[in-house]
Amino acid sequence: MRMRFLGVGSWALGVLAVAGAAAFAGARQAPQQPAPAPQQPSEIAVVISGDPGTPPRYAIPDFVALNPEAAEVAKTVAQVLWDDLAFEREFYLIPRDTYSTVPAARTADQINFNSWRELGADGVIFGTVQRMGANVRVEVRLFNVRTRQAVFSKEYTGTDANPRLYAHTIADEIHQQQRNLRGVARTRLTFASDRNRERVAGPVENRDVKEIYIADYDGANSRRVTTSRQLNINPSWSPDARAVAYTSYVPVPDIFISYLYRGVRENPTKRQGSNFLPVFSPDGTRMAFMSNRDGNPEIYAMNVDGSGVRRITNHPAGDSSPTWSPTGTQIAFTSDRSGTPQIYIVGADGLNLRRLTNESYADRPTWSPAPFNEIAFAARTGPGYDIKIFDLASGMTRQITFGEGTNESPAYAPNGRHIAFSSTRAGRWQIFTIGRDGRLVKQLTRDGNNTTPAWSN
Amino acid sequence: MPKVMSSAPNAGGRHQRGRRISPTLSEMNVIPLVDVMLVLLIIFMVAAPMLQRGVEVTLPVAARSQEIASERLFVDLPLSYREDRAVFINKEAIRIDVLAERVRQMMLTRTDKVVYLRGDEQVNLQELYEVFDRLKEAGVQNVGILSRLPGER
Repeated sequence: MRMRFLGVGSWALGVLAVAGAAAFAGARQAPQQPAPAPQQPSEIAVVISGDPGTPPRYAIPDFVALNPEAAEVAKTVAQVLWDDLAFEREFYLIPRDTYSTVPAARTADQINFNSWRELGADGVIFGTVQRMGANVRVEVRLFNVRTRQAVFSKEYTGTDANPRLYAHTIADEIHQQQRNLRGVARTRLTFASDRNRERVAGPVENRDVKEIYIADYDGANSRRVTTSRQLNINPSWSPDARAVAYTSYVPVPDIFISYLYRGVRENPTKRQGSNFLPVFSPDGTRMAFMSNRDGNPEIYAMNVDGSGVRRITNHPAGDSSPTWSPTGTQIAFTSDRSGTPQIYIVGADGLNLRRLTNESYADRPTWSPAPFNEIAFAARTGPGYDIKIFDLASGMTRQITFGEGTNESPAYAPNGRHIAFSSTRAGRWQIFTIGRDGRLVKQLTRDGNNTTPAWSN
Repeated sequence: MPKVMSSAPNAGGRHQRGRRISPTLSEMNVIPLVDVMLVLLIIFMVAAPMLQRGVEVTLPVAARSQEIASERLFVDLPLSYREDRAVFINKEAIRIDVLAERVRQMMLTRTDKVVYLRGDEQVNLQELYEVFDRLKEAGVQNVGILSRLPGER
């Protein structure tokens, strides 16, 4: 009997011991988890996270001007940085008019983290601006409000010619570091505009003067590229964002390339028939365009210098509006070979033609950049047009604008998350951007009529 | 088994003859009792985890999911508001200056823009409207004011 007692008892003790060991192990594991293992990179701790289910909340108070002459730059940088970070919708940006409840800090040591926490901030950006002659030095730090530690710290020195560029650079680097996202704050738009209101005498089709402009992605810093006092439309960027190609009515429509930093204007097609709608291939070596040099509008491709012309389409109906796939192996275009204009795709060698859309009228396709595989286009919906997106993987079409004015000429941002388009929703033709999901419409231009945007890399 | 036989008739010693020893136990025999109790303990130990409610569910992770609409947001307005100008949400003191922004952040993920106000009975109308203003600024569409029944405490 004693033996049996011992046997059962020791088994029970064994079970208890195992259970106890498991509980003990669990108890030991729990506090170990938050501490990072030594071989882990510190990046994990660097990312500021928000409350569960909400994006991180950032506050960007005005940058501190270290000398009085820097005050204006300091204010601009903070405001533009706020707009840049809000544009990608990765963070909730606490409105700047609420910051008066937080005591202003002159140095990083004075940041009142308790007040920022009370305002709900997860991260706060502290920056200083110092002016040294014509140069400015911008120093910026992003603090995690909970741990009170700087997770991002950079210093920039340069001219004061474009203070917005400092904010755009900071925004792109914060998006890259915190969200592993390629921001578009330093990209630019090009578009056609009649904002200088020039008119010339001549045939009716030439009285309308439009010039090519470039501007920052937010519409600021717009600059004129062409000064030809003619109709210049449909600009597109070279992949390195150093050249803009466009159609210029001289008075016969022809293709021109303006090299922005060299101040050179080239005419690769050299008046062979009428040539329209140039678009650079993704590697920047070739250019697709539409031409009627063989009698009716067809799609062609050529080298950027005008050599190696190759005809892509061959059909008695009209083909226009080419756009390259991200790999440069396919071209999407508009054709009315079915009776109404529809979007088609074809290999860059002219083979494997395929119809995509079945709209009442579809035009101006734009192929998205690589992470997304879709084509945005303008489709007739009632009296005007709206932007629709055709998803090549699923074959589904979705609509992102809904009958506010007419909406045309979509152009993708280089990260594929935004689309620029021209719309009459605010009266005259203006350039707007919209999220790929149809949210956050933003008007970029206000002066004159502005159409046919293209977004640089 | 409890009886133990003497091993061998050994020579000498005080007990001369090889005699049967019959040990009488003066204590109560608790061994069967402990035995049964331990078996019971083991049975319950094994059964206990199974008795816990049904199936264990690990909810899927979704970073941007909507909060359950029925989860109510209560704002406590104690009488101390008169001195420190602070209301309480989930026991966190929030100054009236930042109330609008904080409630706006909370409203972002909610479908029903409703806030329930638990105000002290001695809070006056001026103070109540100060809080109302901030809640309206935050995009709250309806404010419910909590009360108690006459007999309730």
